[in-house]
Amino acid sequence: MIPWLLLLPLSSPVLVAAAAVDKTFGVGPDAIAKYTPLKSGNWKCLDGSKEIPWEFVNDDSCDCPDGSDEPGTGACPNTNFYCKNEGHIGLYIPSSRVKDGLCEVECCDGSDERPGVCPNLCKEIGEAYRKKRDEERKIQKTGSKIRSSYITFAHKEKKRLEASIETLTQEIEVKEKEVARLRDIAERTESLSQAALEHKQQSPLYKSLIDHSNALKSLRREHFKHLEREKALGDILTALRTGYNPNYQDMAVLEAVRGWEELAGLPHINDVGKDTTEETTAKEEEEAKEEEGEKEEPEEGMWDAGRLEHGLDVLLNTDYTSLLLEHEEHIQSPSEDSIIYDLTAYLPDSLIPQYEAVKETLVSWLRMLGVIRGEDNTAADSSRAHQALTDAETNLATMKNEKKTAEEDVAEIFDVEGFGAEGEWKKLDGLCLEKNTGDYTYEVCLFEEAKQKPNNGGTTFSLGRFDSWNPSPDVKAGSPEYYSKQVYKHGTRCWNGPERNVVLLLTCGTENALLTIQELEKCEYQFTGTTPALCLPLDGEKGNGNGKKDEL
Amino acid sequence: MRSWTFLGVLSLLLVESSAFKAHDFKTCSQSGFCRRGRALSARAKEARSSWKSPYSVDASSVAISSDQASFTAGVKSSLYPDITFGLEVRVHDDGVVRVRMDEIGGLKKHYDEAASWALIAEPNISRDIQWKTGKKEVRAVYGDKKDIEVLVEFAPLRVSLLRSGREQIVLNGQGLLHMEHFRNKAAAESKTEEPAAVEGEVANGAEEVQTVIKSENPRAWFEGDSEDAYWEETFSSWTDSKPKGPESLSIDINFPNHGTVYGIPQHATRLALPSTTGDSPTFSDPYRLWNSDVFEYLASSPVSLYGSIPVLHAHSTDTTVGIFDAVASETWIDIGHVSDKSTETHWISESGILDLFLMPGPTPEAIFKQYARLTGTPVLPAAWSLGYHQCRWNYVSSDDVRSVQKRFDEEDMPVDVFWLDIEYSEDHKYFMWNDKTFPDPVEMVNDVAAVGRKMVVIVDPHLKRTSEYPAYQEASKLEVLVKPPSGQGEYEGWCWSGSSSWTDFFNPAAWDWWKSLFKTYPLESGWSWTKSTDAVHIWNDMNEPSVFNGPEISMPRDNIHYGGWEHRDVHNINGMLFSNHTYQAVAERSDPRQRPFVLTRSFYAGSQRFGAMWTGDNLGTWEHMAVGIKMVLSNSIAGMSFAGSDVGGFFGNPEPEMLVRWYQVGAFAPFFRAHAHIDTKRREPYLLDEPYKGIVRDILRLRYTQLPVWYTAFRETTVTGLPILRPQYVMFPKDKNGFDIDDQYYIGSSGLLIKPVTTKDATEATVYIAEDQVSCFTVYYDYFTHHAYRGASKGKEITVPAALHQIPLFVRGGSILPTRERPRRSSTLMKHDPFTLRVALSKTGTAHGELYLDDGETYSHEKGQFIWRQFTAEKTAKKSKALRISSRDLATEKPSEAVDGVALTTFNPANEFAKSIEDIRVEKIVVVGLNGKPSSVRVEGGAELVWEYTPGHAASEKKEGVASLLSIKDPKVLVAKDWDIVVQY
Repeated sequence: MIPWLLLLPLSSPVLVAAAAVDKTFGVGPDAIAKYTPLKSGNWKCLDGSKEIPWEFVNDDSCDCPDGSDEPGTGACPNTNFYCKNEGHIGLYIPSSRVKDGLCEVECCDGSDERPGVCPNLCKEIGEAYRKKRDEERKIQKTGSKIRSSYITFAHKEKKRLEASIETLTQEIEVKEKEVARLRDIAERTESLSQAALEHKQQSPLYKSLIDHSNALKSLRREHFKHLEREKALGDILTALRTGYNPNYQDMAVLEAVRGWEELAGLPHINDVGKDTTEETTAKEEEEAKEEEGEKEEPEEGMWDAGRLEHGLDVLLNTDYTSLLLEHEEHIQSPSEDSIIYDLTAYLPDSLIPQYEAVKETLVSWLRMLGVIRGEDNTAADSSRAHQALTDAETNLATMKNEKKTAEEDVAEIFDVEGFGAEGEWKKLDGLCLEKNTGDYTYEVCLFEEAKQKPNNGGTTFSLGRFDSWNPSPDVKAGSPEYYSKQVYKHGTRCWNGPERNVVLLLTCGTENALLTIQELEKCEYQFTGTTPALCLPLDGEKGNGNGKKDEL
Repeated sequence: MRSWTFLGVLSLLLVESSAFKAHDFKTCSQSGFCRRGRALSARAKEARSSWKSPYSVDASSVAISSDQASFTAGVKSSLYPDITFGLEVRVHDDGVVRVRMDEIGGLKKHYDEAASWALIAEPNISRDIQWKTGKKEVRAVYGDKKDIEVLVEFAPLRVSLLRSGREQIVLNGQGLLHMEHFRNKAAAESKTEEPAAVEGEVANGAEEVQTVIKSENPRAWFEGDSEDAYWEETFSSWTDSKPKGPESLSIDINFPNHGTVYGIPQHATRLALPSTTGDSPTFSDPYRLWNSDVFEYLASSPVSLYGSIPVLHAHSTDTTVGIFDAVASETWIDIGHVSDKSTETHWISESGILDLFLMPGPTPEAIFKQYARLTGTPVLPAAWSLGYHQCRWNYVSSDDVRSVQKRFDEEDMPVDVFWLDIEYSEDHKYFMWNDKTFPDPVEMVNDVAAVGRKMVVIVDPHLKRTSEYPAYQEASKLEVLVKPPSGQGEYEGWCWSGSSSWTDFFNPAAWDWWKSLFKTYPLESGWSWTKSTDAVHIWNDMNEPSVFNGPEISMPRDNIHYGGWEHRDVHNINGMLFSNHTYQAVAERSDPRQRPFVLTRSFYAGSQRFGAMWTGDNLGTWEHMAVGIKMVLSNSIAGMSFAGSDVGGFFGNPEPEMLVRWYQVGAFAPFFRAHAHIDTKRREPYLLDEPYKGIVRDILRLRYTQLPVWYTAFRETTVTGLPILRPQYVMFPKDKNGFDIDDQYYIGSSGLLIKPVTTKDATEATVYIAEDQVSCFTVYYDYFTHHAYRGASKGKEITVPAALHQIPLFVRGGSILPTRERPRRSSTLMKHDPFTLRVALSKTGTAHGELYLDDGETYSHEKGQFIWRQFTAEKTAKKSKALRISSRDLATEKPSEAVDGVALTTFNPANEFAKSIEDIRVEKIVVVGLNGKPSSVRVEGGAELVWEYTPGHAASEKKEGVASLLSIKDPKVLVAKDWDIVVQY
């Protein structure tokens, strides 16, 4: 590049008339020192790439490659202009705003426009700003008090959980011993009765029963498969009906929708759009019920659908071995319950080996005397001992599980990626917030699930389960920005579309509330809301952050 | 069982949901009259030389009007001696020949109003014509050089247009003219046997002829032996009652000396139309004109799309001619190239009279002017509408709109218009805001307008049939809705709004009412759109009309319009009338009138008078990106200059690279809008990651810097009718190499040449530089690097860098481009900005450019409120070493050519508008290709200016490489004033 040739000084009156802007005009306080001429009378572009005559600075003609020679005119693209905004907050605006004929609020002193274009509104705007900021601070203050109560809660919760872990640990110890004891008993009784039991299980009745049971299980499995398939089809068609894209303009789709409506007894969707107007649903459902009522009466003793649903489970959970033994007892003369088993329950552990030895003798005597039918009761004993063991084991597992959960909860409370470094979010775990938008009520249960519930009947869709805080790689875990966004993922899949997702944007507020719901693109929802959990204490603020964050 | 059936349907749908639904639309063989027309052509081919048209002029009936302006004659068909047809031939004062033929005294009337909707006025008849009547023909010779001749031969009837003795256009040269006369159904049935036509059984030519041979029917050799779909026709589940019976029109139009044809948009195909007949045709079906809402249309197909302009240009190195067929019914056009020097076309229309305009050319430019004199020039758009438009189906709420605007501003990306698709409205009742999502529409629009921006809101033609919708209620009360075939009551069809009816804009009673709806203040007479402002402009979609449950996604052909015409008669005009009346309504809602912006999807010849069109629902694929350019070019040469395709593609999620390339395409289309389907991910440019975001920002800004070029180009087209985008053959009509080129083009007369890249992973592009017969212009400068490329005497291809951030954009040597280089948020905020002039010198060291400016919004330009400047660069004397760059007023010189609308007799350079911009200066002048380093640069009579010179190649050299660059800093000359700058070197 050849430097600018200055064959004549810029002294022509014609040329000077227009440009008489202060050389530091539009320069911010941080850079003002750089706007002084060199001894040569030149000035160096801030990127050092070029020297230009000092006169070229702010002459409304771009000379420096970095645009630094025009801080006050907007002649160079991609530069900034500093509005002093006295009475308010001084700030930079992009050069594209300079002399564009608009009076931006950001530049309330009007210095970016030609003189006389914009009034200086900094006093008013500054006042309004301060008023607004005070209000926000008030909210923040109130909110932060609530927030600290959340933190207190988290600490209490931690203590409670720790105490509970303590208790559970002790209980588990006791329970483990008991399980060991019961296992011992069960093993002993079982070894005694195994052969007898096997014999009994050869009974044709028992075999048939087992066959029935297996058949029933298989039938139920097939039935469930069908139910699932039917539900899936129903879901697909319901989603098609409410969500099909009218732009496809496909009469085949319309036919499918109409057919489904007829089959499922749903009302006509009156509109091609996605809005569902289902005022008549309740009525239709009633009609459907009536129709059901008219169906043929089942034969006597046959189960209705409701009983099938619940009764079948109970039936299939029957312990057939126990039943076999009970059956034996029932068929035989009514006899007293075995006391032999019962005794073991009351004997101290230390006596059991002796007791077992005695018991064998005792039983053989009793059998000889015809008081008992030998193996019969020992078999029942075995089954009961086993049952007791199973119960105890289940109980133990539950306790261990409880403990584990509690331990995890304790860990999560103060986890940066969980309930926050201060545990301020713990209080909100599972808290459900709702927003009625007319056609739908949207619900988000924090850290759990978001849902769309139609107000006029219809299917509730899951919009996703809690997945993470702000996942942006640019955002640091634990920062306020991190906690201002929650992501709920993997909701019900849209027809011909993605799974529903929610992004929940939160700001500081005195209440936990949902403010707005928008489906910005298909099945991608944006919720906004407030929560005190985001209201940091005013005093704790870092000095530099505030001014920038609160730009108008 | 039933649910399984549905599952089957569903799975079928999932497979097919992303494809063009061919079965929704007719092929020629599924359309009775097209089948008949093609069969006729097949019989003629079979018969060869023995074929003779049955139509002949009754020599005794020839009557020449007293002023010699036209002649009329009776025409008879030997097939039906009782039927008379009337022929009328006129020559307009610009040499255009109009040929009309209609049935006289028929049982019913053929639709004869198509031209009245397309033409701006009844054309003036030439006073210089002398018809000479002979025994076998009538002829007239005219033109400045008396080299044009119209010849009407009597038996058989044959009309030809000749220039210098060479046939340019020949009508009925192949004897395919056939106007089916109205006949009586009962009588017809008694005469013939069982109609043999079966749906789907293609009328195969050979078979037909064999039938003919066996037949006793004396007309079978011509008409075929069966009444194929004369009285009723079924397609899919729809039956067309065809109450008027057969009334179709067939005519062959041949261009014996023209090997290339362009036009008849809109089809997704190449600009130079591929053949549909002859040996191995590109397409097996004829080109179809039947405005249709085609879902996911194919990127290469003769299938009809949303708009129809029955204009065809035939081009050769010698001459260019054109025809405009003023027909509004469904029309199929076969194109065949018998040799590479001649073209045969066959036009088959369902109804209407023959009303043909033969445009004699002889250049593309002349054709544009002749066509513009018939149907009007493109309207001068509001200046802001040349900015960038951001659209999506849908911005979901007023806050959504605000946040989109905020993001554009944060990223400092310019945008002028935010758009709202159908979901702004409550239940798709257009005008009626959904007050849950748009509770504050006026405030929202005001927030957008505060930054100098506008909004465009969709208003579709279907009216939801509900008592809660004032627009429907009022239309119903006024009885201006389209009627069902019975002619009674209201036609009901299905569209976005569910059960809907359509306003019949052929009914004059609808016009004032439609205007009243757009008023933004309350009216006593009825409902008006008070929740709107002057910053709201309109998008007319679905105006083919699209009817979801109608035949071919449109209205039944036997629906009844005003005057008792059937929908089939007027279908292709329907969409134009809708946008026409919306245009009037928006213009007149404010006082004084403001220039409206109305975007239409459907269009017809003449639609250019009412605003912009776009290529409809394209796909986010490279193929659609590429064909979109060809479609825009094709529309441009047929008058619809204000055209573009959806940036990004309507359907699909384009990857960042594709989106960037698409922005490069869009930035060089007259209408520049990004749009996206509701199912797509958001793709506003600020959502892109770097480097894509920065590249798109630069593209948007580039478009804005060039807005003065675009606006100046629009001025020209409003006066001349020359397209904004000019394909290679328009610029270089004698360069045969350029005839098929449709992927690069010039912008107006500016000298900008663009070759958008439409392929993935491109790093280079090939650009064709034409042979230049006019002068030694053949140096082209890369717009960004100033690299000089040289042409060759026979034209040549150059390879240029085209990485993702690079746009193959060139300035033709000899051009001066006015630009505004300061980035702004919107175009209206650039009004005070200074200009930069780019002077790209030709080989002889000259350059020329223009700048047109007005207030951009009102009609004050029609009263002389504008500036029209000419910039020139030339040597001060033939052998001097000094270049004079000057600015002159062009409007005073040519006041009558300055603006469309009113031809001014005088121009006042000191008009109010000129005064309002009198302090706007030229802040920089860049001269590319100077011969050497200047010794002095000064405003004539003034002081030395500040300048910088970078050595490089001179324009006059033959070497390629970076050209020399002179950059003159702030000469402080004013854009609206005369000045001279002299560069001594």
